[in-house]
Amino acid sequence: MAGREVKEYEALVNRVAGIFGLLKYFPDDMSDEEVEGVLHILPADMATTIGAVMAPRIRRVSIAFLKGFQQWLDGALTAKAQGKKIILVPFNFPPEFVYCFKNAHPLTSEVLTVAGVASLEGQGERYWDFAMGLGLPDYLCSANTIELGSALTQADFEPDAVISAAPGSCDANSKIHEFVARYLGVPQFLLDKPVDDSPRGRRAYRTYFRSLVREVEEFLGEELDEDRMREVLTLANEATRLYYDLWELRKVRPNPCPNIFTLYAYGIRYTLWGTEAATRVLRLMLETVKERLSKGMYPSREEVARCFWIYTYYYWDWYGFFNRMEERGITVLGDLLGSFFFQPVDTSTKESMIDGLADTCWDYAMTRQVGAESMSAQWLEDISYWTSQLDADACVYCGHHSCKQTWSVFSLVRGEIMKRAKLPTLMLQGDSWIRRMTPMSALDEQIDEFVATVLKRKRTTLARQVG
Amino acid sequence: MRTLQSQSTDIYTDYVRDWKEKGGKVLGYACVATPVELIEAAGILPYRIKAFGHPDTELGDAYLARFNCRFCRSCLQLGLEGTYDFLDGLIETNGCDHLRGMFENWQYVKKYEFFHYLKVPHFLREDSLDYFTEEIQLMRRAMAEHFGTEISDDKLREAVDAYDEVFDRLKRLYALREKVPPVISGAEVMRLICTGSSMMAGDFSALLDEVLAEKEKAQPIPYKARLMIMGSATDEVDLIEDIESGGALIAADALCYGSRSFWRREGESGDPARLLAERYLGNLFCPRMFTEYDKRRDYILDTARRADVDGAIITYNKFCDLHGVEAVSLRMDLEKAGIPVLVLEKDYGSKADTGRIKTRVQAFLERLGK
Repeated sequence: MAGREVKEYEALVNRVAGIFGLLKYFPDDMSDEEVEGVLHILPADMATTIGAVMAPRIRRVSIAFLKGFQQWLDGALTAKAQGKKIILVPFNFPPEFVYCFKNAHPLTSEVLTVAGVASLEGQGERYWDFAMGLGLPDYLCSANTIELGSALTQADFEPDAVISAAPGSCDANSKIHEFVARYLGVPQFLLDKPVDDSPRGRRAYRTYFRSLVREVEEFLGEELDEDRMREVLTLANEATRLYYDLWELRKVRPNPCPNIFTLYAYGIRYTLWGTEAATRVLRLMLETVKERLSKGMYPSREEVARCFWIYTYYYWDWYGFFNRMEERGITVLGDLLGSFFFQPVDTSTKESMIDGLADTCWDYAMTRQVGAESMSAQWLEDISYWTSQLDADACVYCGHHSCKQTWSVFSLVRGEIMKRAKLPTLMLQGDSWIRRMTPMSALDEQIDEFVATVLKRKRTTLARQVG
Repeated sequence: MRTLQSQSTDIYTDYVRDWKEKGGKVLGYACVATPVELIEAAGILPYRIKAFGHPDTELGDAYLARFNCRFCRSCLQLGLEGTYDFLDGLIETNGCDHLRGMFENWQYVKKYEFFHYLKVPHFLREDSLDYFTEEIQLMRRAMAEHFGTEISDDKLREAVDAYDEVFDRLKRLYALREKVPPVISGAEVMRLICTGSSMMAGDFSALLDEVLAEKEKAQPIPYKARLMIMGSATDEVDLIEDIESGGALIAADALCYGSRSFWRREGESGDPARLLAERYLGNLFCPRMFTEYDKRRDYILDTARRADVDGAIITYNKFCDLHGVEAVSLRMDLEKAGIPVLVLEKDYGSKADTGRIKTRVQAFLERLGK
């Protein structure tokens, strides 16, 4: 059996859990000397990530974020040991739904991939290669296939069930989750997104969501408890409020919110929403950004360009992507995966909470845009809102190879963004979770050239018009 | 068959031209989830969009991307360059991510007066059947309003019966194909199905009667091995010809321009809209349908056994997520059942691929000892 080729200690979740387990012993803040000492003993790939997150301007928040992540992962290990069920969810599904159950813990495929890519020597490549070795096609999405590739080795920490919320919005995501559930022999629960923006479509979605609730309840042998739900969703609502407070601060020029905080915000969204840990990290992030605002702090002499990433980032070089970019005066305002339209859930009754969770799923990143009746229209509408709210100068499309739905309407969307909002869009090509495809140096060059020519020309033209 | 062969890879066939010249309307659709009976009941010719291996995609590439399946890019190319200007409208379905993008771009540029989106759920359950039944009613209403035609329950039932007759004949044709020795080739069958997918049911039945009469008396076709082919949407008659040219007879298929478009159309409801929902959603043998892998696998294994094949070819277009992933499970299950498999990832319509494909099939035949 191919699975035996990988030993337990070599599998992604087991390795990541081992590494992050050490974070428990870290203080809440560290001196430069302490950081330097840690960097000396780390393998190169991990040192790059730790070097990025330990930059003094973001260090305290980074440590809190990483500890929060460790808590999430540790929660899974502890839960399993206590006989609770581990439910693997995709990023476009609210973890707070799983936290509403006493006997379950969520693990998010794509977040685990990011953790593996960011912290493991050799990043996630060997798990991707394992999946390819089974014959899976090389144009699948590395975001989930890296983690799921590790699950396929059957040597890794295994989920007890899989929830898939991507049918309707992403074939690649839905199919790989389906494949893994079958391969591992664990049940899969589906939430199909009707590509229907009418009230009828939303009604159907709520019906489907209720079916999902029943199936999960049956699987866990536990009925959703109203009090527990209220407790979890009150915390989720508080996190949502803090998220929007942070969003408001991102509108300021120059942006007081360090680029990497946008990733942290949605890292928390995809793992800890509905827990105390989420609100704790968000609060600290908010305090830090407010302090930076009051002191007028920005990592570069001037904010040269404010760019909104209209789909995803690149996750395999945090220093190159987040830190070095802002040190060159290029603000990463956010991306689709981290820009939400969530409303607070009405916690008055169990029914209202279930409906609220269904609405949250409907508005989740990716589901809302490319699961819409018209992918291009909804994506465009949301980009227009985000870029006008955040006062963006330009848009960037990462061109992650696997995103067939966004690729299929990108040309149309780019043209319309220019026509309507006069915002130029840079199209890059690369794999967001695998560094083999396009090197950061090539991406940097393209971004720099775009900023230096297109944006500069745009600003000059505008200045002339105003003059 | 001779006339058919010369016509069957034309987009604007004599049949469609004649239909249009008589003032008939034509609606384009792309996915087998589209209930063609409904279009036929409106007195409109349902036309399944094809590209027939069309290799040029410059316009298609300008809207879709190189990471999208080339079948969709080829269809879009033909749509944008005007080849499909004879269509009076389009029916979009959410068959897959590529197809959705194809339709969005096509409509963005061409702006058909009639453009209807039929939304198809991804699983079969009572609640999704309810939703799909409503979708069929919405499509019915939209066509009736736009084309000023009445689509009565009786007309719908008639159309259902007419298609059942087509399906019966196609099954007889498949029996000839599966016969040992066979009297019709895989390429001939695909030509017929492609041709019929732009004909009214009654006319297609008549054509099938002629072909059946001719083929029932035909000489057996020589071959080295009997194979089954399955995989993603393809209307590439050339591909089947290339495979068969080396002696690999395609004795059965599970393609959506093949048996998957007609083999099972069960339904029991007395209400015609609900009946259509059951016939389509309940029998959609496509990897876009989740939780139904076992049903698809069993259908394929049954077909393979019935046709007594020596091996199977799983083929899919580059960038097809649905079939690309499904191919792995299928390969494992077919091999477990003792059926050797050739997995053939290919670029749709690429003549540059012909040599490679022929070589791989030749190697597969040798592996089979043929």
